[in-house]
Amino acid sequence: MKAVLPFLCAYAVLAQDAPPVPAPAATEWLTGTADFGYRWRTDVAGSFDTYRSVVNLGEGPKLFGADFTIVDPSKRFFDRLAVNGIGWGGDPYTTAHAAADKERIYRFTFDYRNIAYFDATPSFANPLLGNGVFLNQQSFDTRRRMAGFELELRPGSRLVPYLHYTRDSDHGTGVTDFVSNSSNSYPVANFLRSHTDNYRGGVRIELNRFHATLEQGGTVFKDDERVTEATRNNGNASRPFLGETLHLDTLLQAYGIRGAGPYTKAQVTASPLSWIDFYGQFLYSMQHTDVNYTQSNTGEFVNLSSLLFYSAEQNLLAGAARQPHTSGSMGVEVRPLRRLRIVENWTTDRLHTASSLQVAGSTQRLVDNYNQQSVDVIFDLTSKITLRGGDRYVWGDTTAPAFYGLAPEFGTLKRHAGVAGIAFRPAARLSANFDFEGGSADRFYYRTSLQDYRKYRARARYQALPSLSVTWNLTILSNDNPIPSVLYTFSSHDDGLSLLWTPKGGKRLSLLGEYSRTSVESNILYVLPQTFTSARSFYRENAHQASGLLDFVLPNIRSRAAHVSVGGALYTAAGTRPTSFYQPLAKLSLPVAKHADWVSEWRWYGFAEPVFSLEGFRTTQLSTGLRVTR
Amino acid sequence: MLASVLLLLASRLAAQTPAPSGPATYAGSDACKVCHEEIVGKFAANPHHLIETSKKRGREGPKEGWAGKTCEACHGPASNHTESAEAKDIRNPAKLAPAATDQLCLGCHLNQPAQAGRIQSGHARSQVACVSCHSIHKTPEELKPTKAAAVNEKCASCHVSVWAQFQRPYTHKLPQNAMSCVDCHNPHGRNMTSTVRMTAASGEPACLNCHGDKRGPFVFEHEPMRTDGCTACHEPHGSSHPRMLTRNDARVTCLECHSNIGIPKPGQNGVLGGAPPAFHNLQSQRFQACVTCHVKVHGSNVDRTFLR
Repeated sequence: MKAVLPFLCAYAVLAQDAPPVPAPAATEWLTGTADFGYRWRTDVAGSFDTYRSVVNLGEGPKLFGADFTIVDPSKRFFDRLAVNGIGWGGDPYTTAHAAADKERIYRFTFDYRNIAYFDATPSFANPLLGNGVFLNQQSFDTRRRMAGFELELRPGSRLVPYLHYTRDSDHGTGVTDFVSNSSNSYPVANFLRSHTDNYRGGVRIELNRFHATLEQGGTVFKDDERVTEATRNNGNASRPFLGETLHLDTLLQAYGIRGAGPYTKAQVTASPLSWIDFYGQFLYSMQHTDVNYTQSNTGEFVNLSSLLFYSAEQNLLAGAARQPHTSGSMGVEVRPLRRLRIVENWTTDRLHTASSLQVAGSTQRLVDNYNQQSVDVIFDLTSKITLRGGDRYVWGDTTAPAFYGLAPEFGTLKRHAGVAGIAFRPAARLSANFDFEGGSADRFYYRTSLQDYRKYRARARYQALPSLSVTWNLTILSNDNPIPSVLYTFSSHDDGLSLLWTPKGGKRLSLLGEYSRTSVESNILYVLPQTFTSARSFYRENAHQASGLLDFVLPNIRSRAAHVSVGGALYTAAGTRPTSFYQPLAKLSLPVAKHADWVSEWRWYGFAEPVFSLEGFRTTQLSTGLRVTR
Repeated sequence: MLASVLLLLASRLAAQTPAPSGPATYAGSDACKVCHEEIVGKFAANPHHLIETSKKRGREGPKEGWAGKTCEACHGPASNHTESAEAKDIRNPAKLAPAATDQLCLGCHLNQPAQAGRIQSGHARSQVACVSCHSIHKTPEELKPTKAAAVNEKCASCHVSVWAQFQRPYTHKLPQNAMSCVDCHNPHGRNMTSTVRMTAASGEPACLNCHGDKRGPFVFEHEPMRTDGCTACHEPHGSSHPRMLTRNDARVTCLECHSNIGIPKPGQNGVLGGAPPAFHNLQSQRFQACVTCHVKVHGSNVDRTFLR
């Protein structure tokens, strides 16, 4: 109570100090908000690595978010410039976005993101977890940066040239495995550094009933990953192999990978008559990769095929891969009657990879040919009911590379599916959609591919009161593969309900709540290699997810409203991997000046996995700062 | 008696209906401003203001273009409405059937790459009109949200279950507004059954826009990456399993395809991935996490078994 008292006093003082209501300003040349302050975090109880893998928010001064818009009355360099960003000050995700335009001259956008990928969850890949030994294999601490811009010239004219550039880069460290053969594997340091540049430019030709886009572009890729070890490493094998202790003393693996891929794209849309629309697209790309790989390692290793032990190894490999990719689609929408629409679409996608490595017999070829034809008939039964029915046929073939002298794998795909749906809009306050898709495949690639499947989807929205709206979703998917050696059954059920309640227009109270339930079941046979007997793989998941925010509007301070919000999110799942993740929060926003609010937020994170109890964590965060608005 | 009642009703109805004033003609935006001053005033800051000076006039525009008639580009000729001030005498796209609204918008916007797949999209099939997401008269940000938070809020208002998946522990950073739904999806649809956005460079899933190191081509490809894409193993909307896997650990994910059953005859169903038989002792902890050794599972440039 003592802690609350000063706050109440401060609130009372602020509430009495309300100045007169300011007159509405004329159109401002600068508008926007900036949210800045400080975040504290308590010590993380439990696994700090898992905390960083899931949440990863740290302490310190932060620019939580900012956005501003400048409207230049003189329209000299731009008409409008809008900039926004979040997470500056060391947060694991930092973004910036800018957009500027000048009517009929240009339109420019810039986007930047810097996202941290920390991933160290021993249950993911640590073979010794059950022994209580925690190595950190397959863990990474990297940052991925994406930056790019797009410039469009003369928007709104008949000819619109444009340029686009993006760069995606990844760098950081990690722990991966060096595997000399299946007799032992060694967790070793991994240094990751790669980037991809994407350039494209083209012209859009825009006429009243016809349009074409012609684009030329390309990618350039570079990957300089390194894997090193400088001290003795006994690896994961806990026992000697034929009396010899296998170990790694030194290692240097260097991947020098360079890639590039020019491409050409064309797109056409046309409405030659009022009752017909046509569209088509064609893309051809030729990606290629050149590889120079160096590996030298010393220690004690074994060649399993000859059972010879050796102490040093060196590999210098050069390889290349070429991937021509041709993709095309065309479609037409015909409206022969006012209430009837027929949509027909054809797609083909042909991707081939031919590759070779400087090792005998390593020439590889992957072929993937995919085709799809679909027709949808949509009929407006009444102004409030629309019916839909159609057919989708998918076919293709693929050839997978040969494996150690065996014949290449070859698969074919043939699947027919029927679709049906109804959209029902009995009143402006109520709308509902029901969709069904059911299919059967004569040929399919994988044991888990869609074979005999049914998918149901329903969605409804009801505005019960002017202040209360409810949305409901349902998705059900079931798929079976009855082949005796597979006996695969899969089913998933997903339904969700959301509610938005804003009594009296949310002047005093508003509530946004969402609840969703998910269940997944998957059963499939596989063979135990030691005994060649069948075993069954089960996967079960029954999850509940909820989130909500209850916002109270407090009496005005300085003629502006103060807010208190409470809510958060929870996730709890039972089944093969029980998990719970709770994120309650509370927010307080108090006006402290004409254009400033004092904003504070409290959050608690609690993550628990009963099967992997050492991966749980709990922590509390408190952030406070100012929101300045203009 | 009945005939006289009907006659009476008909005569009363006829008396209430204003005399037809013939086909509507263009009245000009100034006429609209008389009553709708606020909307017309704000419209100057709206990107659709470009209609005023654009040479493009859509399917049904007058030959001289839309100069001075911007409102009627969407609302149709308004002369009858200006005379009667009746809502029924003007076209209100928000109250048309969704397909009719779409046709109106696509009259100009079908001619743009982002919307070229609209007529094939799930939103179009489900009768979700353009105006369900775009507030035509409002500010540029409300017309076309660019902030991730605004985009996500809009999508989540209908896709409740999908948004709920982002409450799971391992997700892309959408709840934190570092990403938005449209980074991966084109809500206007594309010429395939899925709305997943494709990379401009090679027509592959948009995952590769950020995860460029998984693009390849690799000397040794992992076939599902090409045939089924990333979602063969990952749940991009959120998972309770590390690395957003669809199953509780890597072993289970891998074994659903890699059954350890010998090679079936070529062309047989479910052939891919069933071979070759592996002789790892799956009951040993060392072999229960496949990706511990098969570190280059997305594709390798050095080793067919993805060890390096």
